[in-house]
Amino acid sequence: MTQLTQATVYGLLQGGLFALVAVGFSLVWGVMNVVNLAHGAFVITGAYIAWKLADAASVPPLLGMLAAAACLFAAGYLLQRLLINLIVNAPIWMTLLLTFGLDLLIVNGLVLLFTGDFRSIPTGYATSGLRLGQVRVPYGRLLGFLLAVGLTLALVAFMSRTRMGLAIRATGMDRGAARLMGMRVRHVYAVTFGIAAALAGAAGAILGTVATFNPADAGRYTLQSFVIAVLGGLGNMWGALAGGILLGVVTAWGGQYLSGTLVNAISFGVLVVVLLVRPTGLLGRPYYELRQEA
Amino acid sequence: MATSTPPARGVKAPPTDTASARERSPARSPWLGWGTAACVLVLLALLPSQLYGGQQRLLAGVFMFVALAQAWNVIGGFAGYASFGNVAFFGLGGYTTAVLMVKAGWSFWLALPVAGLIGVGFAVLVGIPAVRLRGHYFAIATLGVAEGTREVVVNLPRLTGGGAGITVPAVGPEATTSYLGNYGFYQAFLVLAGLSTLAVWALARSRFGYALRAIHQNEDGAAAIGINTTRVKVGAFALSGLLTALAGAIYAFQQVSIYPDRLFDVSITVLMVVMAVFGGSGTVFGPVLGAVGLQFLSEWLRTHYTEAHTFIFGAIIVVAIVFLPQGVVSFSRDAWKRRRVSLLETVRTYRL
Repeated sequence: MTQLTQATVYGLLQGGLFALVAVGFSLVWGVMNVVNLAHGAFVITGAYIAWKLADAASVPPLLGMLAAAACLFAAGYLLQRLLINLIVNAPIWMTLLLTFGLDLLIVNGLVLLFTGDFRSIPTGYATSGLRLGQVRVPYGRLLGFLLAVGLTLALVAFMSRTRMGLAIRATGMDRGAARLMGMRVRHVYAVTFGIAAALAGAAGAILGTVATFNPADAGRYTLQSFVIAVLGGLGNMWGALAGGILLGVVTAWGGQYLSGTLVNAISFGVLVVVLLVRPTGLLGRPYYELRQEA
Repeated sequence: MATSTPPARGVKAPPTDTASARERSPARSPWLGWGTAACVLVLLALLPSQLYGGQQRLLAGVFMFVALAQAWNVIGGFAGYASFGNVAFFGLGGYTTAVLMVKAGWSFWLALPVAGLIGVGFAVLVGIPAVRLRGHYFAIATLGVAEGTREVVVNLPRLTGGGAGITVPAVGPEATTSYLGNYGFYQAFLVLAGLSTLAVWALARSRFGYALRAIHQNEDGAAAIGINTTRVKVGAFALSGLLTALAGAIYAFQQVSIYPDRLFDVSITVLMVVMAVFGGSGTVFGPVLGAVGLQFLSEWLRTHYTEAHTFIFGAIIVVAIVFLPQGVVSFSRDAWKRRRVSLLETVRTYRL
């Protein structure tokens, strides 16, 4: 019983981080119909920026996270503005291939820069934790969870309360109409992609404080984002939060009770079944229609 | 608004375009094309006597990717369904062969057709529900199937050896079929590449091929003129699965030791797509061109830039996609027709 509770708590905390990783991916997919295969690479880049700052200048992790987010916002904005906007109207596999090329570039660039060694960002509270009865809650993971959920909620507020958020949602609903209303769609797309990259970078910096990372992890985070985005419904930020936490808990339970990596097979199985049965995700209506209803 | 069916393709290339080059100029006899193809095949069959082992292996790899790119071309290029899970067939074909040879003591030549059948069966099984999805959803569903299949293979250690892999006995008394050697695999992959290209060539001229193109351009319209779209799409997926599984089967025997991470590597799928798209998806010879060009380029980079070759390869993919989104074959054909070469024009086609 204790084991189950411990696994659940651990899964919840991990799930919050998964949600932050996936929310930007889901946003980009939902608004621009671009599946960004380089998303995991952004996560790892964020982790490396925070790690490098901590390692070279002993910048505290929280500040490192902000720096990573700022760098990735700029990089994401420029990437979308200068590159991805060029083929946004092409057949879908073009954007998949372009972002796969970017993924190869970034991941191997990181290997060349930092080698493939495993790194982690040191924190002062790494070993201490909270005891709730029999269950142990490490401070690092708790803090990471709170930050991740906080940032996800901040994104929700941004999307519903600000003019820019409104512009992003409007562009996602009908690009032509948004353009006619005077929105600079290229800029709006670039900001959307920048926000997604920034959140991925922040998530990477947080993940770096609670676990080890190396460039080869990028693909895993991209695939996780897929599963979560599909579970939650595209562009649906509450959905990403729920999907992330669900995936975190299920993964933790699977790690407890199933042998080997069978839990991965299950999560992909769930992904395929959800796609086939309910392509709009578990939380219902996406704000961005399936282009052609299946 | 961008739809999943690319409007620009239709604008740039009329529906019958890929097939009708020959019909339009009846003066050019079809025997010319056949003659050229036969000459190339004979030359390629004779070539190995002039090569050393490493070069034969390199070319065998090129032929394998010709077959894989053609297989993807059937579902992705003709039907317009971007399968991102074709590596599942490759891995299943490879593992079927290895497991049958090791656990059941079958000969390779018996295991090979069974691997092909497994590929077809799996494609039908996955295809029937999956082809109801369009656009990204099909891509993601197939990707999920491929990843899921890999995990299942990893977690069946008693059958597949799990993550540690499985080794086919290639020499000695335990070998059910003696190892084919560099030349043997060269021939096997050459035959497979030739058959795949022939199959796509025949497809491009058949009723089935026209049905696929119709689905690519307007699926609802295709259904309205009486095409059973589900059956046609599943058929295309099955053909794709057959060719890919056969390639995987030969590859598994060539490699002797196979691992799930190698046989179900997502980047194999991506390479198929890149080669087909770079050469010209939906054309007969585009994938051949793309596979040959990119495989040589990739090998060249590997030998000359041992550390940064993947980095450079990524950059090349990005540049190629931006400047040649419709592929070399379609680009050259348009340039030839209009007597004008403009890379900027193709960039303008798809930009926002």
